[in-house]
Amino acid sequence: MYGFEALTFNVDGGYLEAIVRGHRAGLLTASDYNNLCQCENLDDIKMHLSATEYGSYLQNEPSPLHTTTIVEKCTLKLVDEYKHMLCQATEPLSTFLEYITYGHMIDNVVLIVTGTLHERDVHELLEKCHPLGMFDSIATLAVAQNMRELYRLVLVDTPLAPYFSECITSEDLDDMNIEIMRNTLYKAYLEDFYRFCQKLGGATSEIMSDLLSFEADRRAVNITINSIGTELTRDDRRKLYSNFGLLYPYGHEELAVCEDIDQVRGVMEKYPPYQSIFAKMSYGESQMLDKAFYEEEVKRLCLAFEQQFHYAVFFAYMRLREQEIRNLMWISECVAQNQKSRVHDSVVFIF
Amino acid sequence: MEEEEDQSLSFSEVVEEQQGQRGSEEENVVQFLDSLDSYLTLFDSLSSTLRQGWLELASARHSMGVSRINGTLLDLKPHSAATTLQVSEPDVDYMVGQPHFKLSKWASSNNENCCFGEEKIREDKLQTKSDSPQLRNRSQFSGTPATNGASLIVDDQVQKERSKSLSMFGTLVSPKLRSAQLSFETALETLVEIANMRSTMFSTSDQIRKEMAGPRDDNKRYCIAEEVCD
Repeated sequence: MYGFEALTFNVDGGYLEAIVRGHRAGLLTASDYNNLCQCENLDDIKMHLSATEYGSYLQNEPSPLHTTTIVEKCTLKLVDEYKHMLCQATEPLSTFLEYITYGHMIDNVVLIVTGTLHERDVHELLEKCHPLGMFDSIATLAVAQNMRELYRLVLVDTPLAPYFSECITSEDLDDMNIEIMRNTLYKAYLEDFYRFCQKLGGATSEIMSDLLSFEADRRAVNITINSIGTELTRDDRRKLYSNFGLLYPYGHEELAVCEDIDQVRGVMEKYPPYQSIFAKMSYGESQMLDKAFYEEEVKRLCLAFEQQFHYAVFFAYMRLREQEIRNLMWISECVAQNQKSRVHDSVVFIF
Repeated sequence: MEEEEDQSLSFSEVVEEQQGQRGSEEENVVQFLDSLDSYLTLFDSLSSTLRQGWLELASARHSMGVSRINGTLLDLKPHSAATTLQVSEPDVDYMVGQPHFKLSKWASSNNENCCFGEEKIREDKLQTKSDSPQLRNRSQFSGTPATNGASLIVDDQVQKERSKSLSMFGTLVSPKLRSAQLSFETALETLVEIANMRSTMFSTSDQIRKEMAGPRDDNKRYCIAEEVCD
């Protein structure tokens, strides 16, 4: 049973909930996607997007366009909307909105560290960072030689500091350690976000628990599939799974020992919410798994808008926009490579 | 009498030689046409393999995110080439004036059992390109257990080298990125086959031209033979 959110939510959150619902109405529709899928080149895509909310961000881009330019400009729009909402938000909504960006922060940290390991220029790496995951001292990540230094010199003053307790070692940073660091940080972040939402209670807790559990389960499946045939041991694989979600703990025990995609399928089909996802794929193939997971995620995110007076609409909107940007990236790549017949392999319609 | 026998022998030798030459010419023409056909087929195959590879790479970026797969992650540290191309000198016994290209795949300075060469290329072709990760760890070849054991060792080493080259994007990468890697690997093999086929084509074309320039000598010999017979 919820409390009386309807009485008090609008005092602090009413304006921003109205804003985010307005933004949600600006998401691309099926007819927009149909028009985009029929474009002959990237300039056609730019022309079609000029009639949408992305128009002002793309209008000044010179031809010839590149797919990365389209993705960057569309991401800038999302960043502007997010910053507007963040500067208007009060506690605890402001903390909730910051939590949404910690995943990008982790990706940026790993990008800088990996690029530095490969002797790349820091400025070049900073250009590739996601704008939602930027923080002040990010450029100084390049001086760290191991995780202890990474934490002590840079990350101790960032929101990611509490997530480092499980991966502080003096081992030098190499490809495997960086990968384990990435997944360990993300696991700690998801668990922390989950606990925060539980404390908020009400509809936020209920809806966000479902969305974050799905995220944790999807990560567990992806980690399992991506680690098959690698040097990651079963124990290390098990340690990367989050300690919540529908698959926790018995599903994780079974996933940890999977050696191929069919064994993963066997584990997941025991859980009814995931039976429909794996039913779309034939045996032995995993190409459509990403799309199936995205479709399920979009369904759950859209359902978040069916209720009022909770914070999950902000999370859902950000994720739906990111999905939209992924769709635009895929359509642009198919058009640029003259492979329009494959455009529906990965586009997930939101409405 | 002996002179007449000698003359008839030389005439028959000339006729046999001419028939042999015509047979050789036809063989060269057929070989040229075969190599041209193979060359064009390989080009088509290369084009479709590259298209597939680029789409799989885009699919991997879509799946893993643009921050995980981009040009800024490429390793600029000095390191040895994973794959090398060897050009062998033209061998008189094999084909006159024809260079031969050979790919040595997945050779690294850390791996003492390097230079898998063409034999490995053939073995890799038998390995089905599939998203099923189980195929990475199981042998594809039927045969004696001893053969299978050796194939497994080579297969594991190749997989390790493949994973090492992908490690710049992380150690837990999507199967789509591995598929893209296989596609580009196949495209590289096809390129070497195209180079060899092109070399064969030019070589047979040169031979045909030489043979077409050669019939005057044959006619002269035939006339001499006729004079002898007369």
